[in-house]
Amino acid sequence: MSTNRVTATPRHERSLTQIKFNAEGDLLFSCSKDHIINVWYSHNGERLGTYEGNNGTVWTVDVDSESRFMVSGAADNTLRLWAVATGKCLYTWEFPTAVKRVAFKDDDSQIVCITEQRMGHQCAIRVFNINRDGDGTNQSKEPLHMFNPIGSKATVCAFTLTPNIIITGHESGKVALFNIKNGDEVDNNERAHGDVVTDLQMSKDSTYCITSSKDKSARIHDTKTLMVLKTFTTETPLNSAAIAPIKPYVLLGGGQEAMNVTTTSLRQGKFETRFWHKVFEEEVGRVKGHFGPINTIAVHPAGTAYASGGEDGFVRVHHFDESYFRAKPYGDLEIAD
Amino acid sequence: SERKALQLRRALVARRRELLSELSVRKEKEETSRRAEINRREKEEEGRRMREEIKRKEQERTKKEIESIRIDEAKKYAQSLVDKGILKPNDVDKLETYDTEGLIVIQVAQLEKEKKELNERLRIVAKRVDHIERAYRKEERPLLDKDYEE
Amino acid sequence: MPGTTLEDIDYSDIEAKYQVYYDDSFDNTLVVDGVPIIDKSKLERLLAKVAKEFSRKGIAIKPEDIFMPWDESTGKSKGFLFIDFRNVEDANLAVSALHNHPFDAKHTFKINRFTDIERFTDLDETYMEPELEEYSSREHLRAWLADPQGRDQYVTYRGEDVEVHWHGKPSQSELAHKPDWKDFLYVAWSPLGTYIATLHRQGVRLWGGPSWKPQQRFAHPLVKLIDFSPCEQYLVTWSNEPIVVPEGALQGPQYFSPDDEGNNIAVWDIKSGDLLRTFSTTNDNETPGIKKQMQWPALKWSPDDKFVARITPGQMISVHELPSMYLQGKKSLKIDGVVDFEWCPHGDKDKEDAEKDVKTAINGSGSKATTKKARENMLVYWTPEVINQPARVTLLSFPSRAILRQKNLFNVTECKLYWQNQGDFLCVKVDRHTKTKKSIFCNLEIFRVREKDYPVEVVELKDTVTDFSWEPKGERFAIVSSSDPNLGNPGPGITIKTDVSFYQLEHGKNDFKLLRTLPSRTSNAIRWSPRGRHVVLATVGSSSKSELEFWDLDFNLEDAGRREGQTSKEEWGSGIQLLGTADHYGVTDVEWDPSGRYLATSASAWTHTLENGFAIWDFRGQELTKQIQDRFKQFIWRPRPVTLLTKEQQRQIRKNLREYSRTFDEDDAAEESNVSAELIALRKRLVDEWNAWRALCKKESTDGRGQ
Repeated sequence: MSTNRVTATPRHERSLTQIKFNAEGDLLFSCSKDHIINVWYSHNGERLGTYEGNNGTVWTVDVDSESRFMVSGAADNTLRLWAVATGKCLYTWEFPTAVKRVAFKDDDSQIVCITEQRMGHQCAIRVFNINRDGDGTNQSKEPLHMFNPIGSKATVCAFTLTPNIIITGHESGKVALFNIKNGDEVDNNERAHGDVVTDLQMSKDSTYCITSSKDKSARIHDTKTLMVLKTFTTETPLNSAAIAPIKPYVLLGGGQEAMNVTTTSLRQGKFETRFWHKVFEEEVGRVKGHFGPINTIAVHPAGTAYASGGEDGFVRVHHFDESYFRAKPYGDLEIAD
Repeated sequence: SERKALQLRRALVARRRELLSELSVRKEKEETSRRAEINRREKEEEGRRMREEIKRKEQERTKKEIESIRIDEAKKYAQSLVDKGILKPNDVDKLETYDTEGLIVIQVAQLEKEKKELNERLRIVAKRVDHIERAYRKEERPLLDKDYEE
Repeated sequence: MPGTTLEDIDYSDIEAKYQVYYDDSFDNTLVVDGVPIIDKSKLERLLAKVAKEFSRKGIAIKPEDIFMPWDESTGKSKGFLFIDFRNVEDANLAVSALHNHPFDAKHTFKINRFTDIERFTDLDETYMEPELEEYSSREHLRAWLADPQGRDQYVTYRGEDVEVHWHGKPSQSELAHKPDWKDFLYVAWSPLGTYIATLHRQGVRLWGGPSWKPQQRFAHPLVKLIDFSPCEQYLVTWSNEPIVVPEGALQGPQYFSPDDEGNNIAVWDIKSGDLLRTFSTTNDNETPGIKKQMQWPALKWSPDDKFVARITPGQMISVHELPSMYLQGKKSLKIDGVVDFEWCPHGDKDKEDAEKDVKTAINGSGSKATTKKARENMLVYWTPEVINQPARVTLLSFPSRAILRQKNLFNVTECKLYWQNQGDFLCVKVDRHTKTKKSIFCNLEIFRVREKDYPVEVVELKDTVTDFSWEPKGERFAIVSSSDPNLGNPGPGITIKTDVSFYQLEHGKNDFKLLRTLPSRTSNAIRWSPRGRHVVLATVGSSSKSELEFWDLDFNLEDAGRREGQTSKEEWGSGIQLLGTADHYGVTDVEWDPSGRYLATSASAWTHTLENGFAIWDFRGQELTKQIQDRFKQFIWRPRPVTLLTKEQQRQIRKNLREYSRTFDEDDAAEESNVSAELIALRKRLVDEWNAWRALCKKESTDGRGQ
């Protein structure tokens, strides 16, 4: 795969947990096991600032469409709302267990979060209204909705186009739709994956989404019917999957975690982001670079770059070169985004 | 009164003379200092010129040195290309200017050409190997049944 | 698994599959005539006696398996009976073992197949003896060679699944067979590719033919290793568990008898399935307690399957004749101190000579003057230094036992014997030590076996030689040598630095001259293409290196020139060219296909569990396919027998290659456009489906907004 120019490999102290571009794509948010959230300029990899205050692994971040508020969830059992521009923590919610996943709604009016199942506490999904008036510090303590999803615990989630419906991925490999008002499981695909669902990212228009799993595969689902549209089978457990806009590709990342010590010399920098053709389900290329498994992948909203965050603590931002856009490895077929 | 007038004149003359000499001394002084100034300026100018000249010469020398190193390098590079068989010895003599970048371009082109040629030859060899095998197998086919009956 | 009795031997998986079929067809029912006519009071005794008679011949039947028809008018039996056997093999065995068998003084068994009786009831009464049909069906066991596309096959063993594939152009690579074999250790092809063997707890199974049906089986419980004879007539099996014959075990030519108890090597006849003989791997006078690594193959076959030899280290080589397995000449070759030996392989020429000999013998009119007699078998052995005698390599012809050539060697630590595959050259790799025994170096003693007086030439080397390999059918060899101080103490993460050198016979001077040395490598394995010329150097078994180098030794030479044996005017060694390099992480096995067109590399889960799977490359190192599969264990190309084409026919084909090429080019072009057309159609369909779905989504979302 010819990508290009790698602008930078910003560094965290410990492995990355999630990375996210803002809507314009000029900023890249990263969170890590080193308790810190960073924001970087995506074009040159320069660090713009940090968001400090968390007291444990930051598992998840999301940013609203105006790049005004950022929300994070961490192992210190807190969900925090931050001012993107000042780095100030505006509000903190506390729970009995760690926050594993957060996501903004398209219109920025709500957030959804998943808390861990631990020490007698069930896995819980909560939805909060975000008060965008004033300086943002005036938030309601109580969730708008809260429920415990039945069956296997949820690991990832996102809002769908249908009002009050969220899509979730679970530890068992299940992908499901829940009504946030009453916690009902509206629909599910128990056998979407054979192992933990590790990531879920929506297409631009939210009509479909991609999930990755430890079962070594990634799948594209119709978010309305949960029908599996495409399957990408690799030979390594996957931690993240992303959909590239403009070009018909999906990006998959992962890797065997327990690598034999003596083999590392050969594997140096060989953990790869895999590019697959979204429609043909064929692998089209790989980009090497990381020294450990890839934990999280995000694609620039304009489709001009992508970033990967690794177990090795590095975030690599790759800018696609002209040939990437010019290449038509499968002829002149026009493929809808 | 005449004496008085004479005295006055004398005094006047003396005064004038005095003034005159003073003036000439001052003029002389001024002239000297002017000369000194000119001299100083000239010297300064000279020094500057000298320094510039040295600098220029220095620069020229460095430039020459760089050029000679560059040529040396290019020569070495050309020699390495000769050693690798990319250039012929008399090709080197024909080179108008010794230019490493140009040589690299030549080498890259040569390597590309070799790669292309290698690939072409390999394609032919591959085809030959494959076709011989298939031809053998084709001709062996009718013999198989006979062999089995035996 | 000690304590296993033969009754535990369970072939039910395989039998269950065919049982119904056999039952329906009555193939395992025999009609036994010549049975005493009795009344019902004696029935029980008679049935017991008949059953015993069959069991004594190794065919276990029970009285319940016998059906005795009665003449109701007389109250007596009719003098014949029906027996149902467990399977068709047992029935066949019974026909051959008990037809015309004297039951008692007055009665002799006449046995017919029930199916034959049915078929021949209308025939003349004089019909008595059905033709003894061989069990093996008349399937063409070499039918795969007739593949119209000239493809080769390979077998893979992954997890519990075996698959046989065709390998060809991408569109022609397809599954040939997916058997449902269960519970076996591993699979192995016979040396000419006729059979594929599976090793079960109960013994060995051979499969083959276009149907991949069972072709033979050998009941050697807990078998671990097998070895076929070169012409596929015999099979040697080995188990670490000594043979035990429990009470009531099946008896017969296909089964072990009490005489075999305690042994662990067995020799079998593949066609009949009969056991020929068993041996013990432990030598009687070996020092107990010291377990030496067993040599495998433990028995070494002469290339014509006529002899099989076994070494008693330090004492003798025992050569047995086939198929009797008697000791040839009634005595072993007593050789004090003998360490190792190898039979000389037969070249294509030897095989042709042997065939001519046979024809001459048949015609009986062979004029000796014109027919060159085939070379006698030959073997080489070596003995180490003892006080008054140097180490010695001896070339011996067999069965005449004439010593053809001996060579004395000094300061010898170890010898290894390498025959070139046509039997033209023998290389004895001699590891030598200096007087002080401090350093080791190496001599290659090369015997030119086709020449008068067997001249020997020595190549002296300063380094330790870790691998040696002759070019098949060639006059070249390659060695891996090393002066790495870590050599000899391998550790994890240590990769030994090596040099690889090529040598070639210089015709004018009759000696082997260095062609070229490739220094500072890590390669430790040499893999010549079976067609010669191309060679792959690989680094296997290393955790940090896994490089493959694809070399051509005749790249810059005229192809035809070398083949016709002309000495090239080109500069010595100038034909050597690196064609490509590649890397297969964790590679454990490297194997050429029989045609020398493709190379397979695999990473077996038996060695490590990282990225198991296999890859296939072309001879220049371009990857054609790579499959990474969990629990991948084995990849083996199916071997092929020597071509049926004569040298002359092959020459003609090469001469007219242009004609063939034209056809093949056309075929390939048609195939390619076919494939690409198919693929393009598939992709177009996928895109159409996707775009239609996207359009639907867009419509729904605009409709939604409109509401």
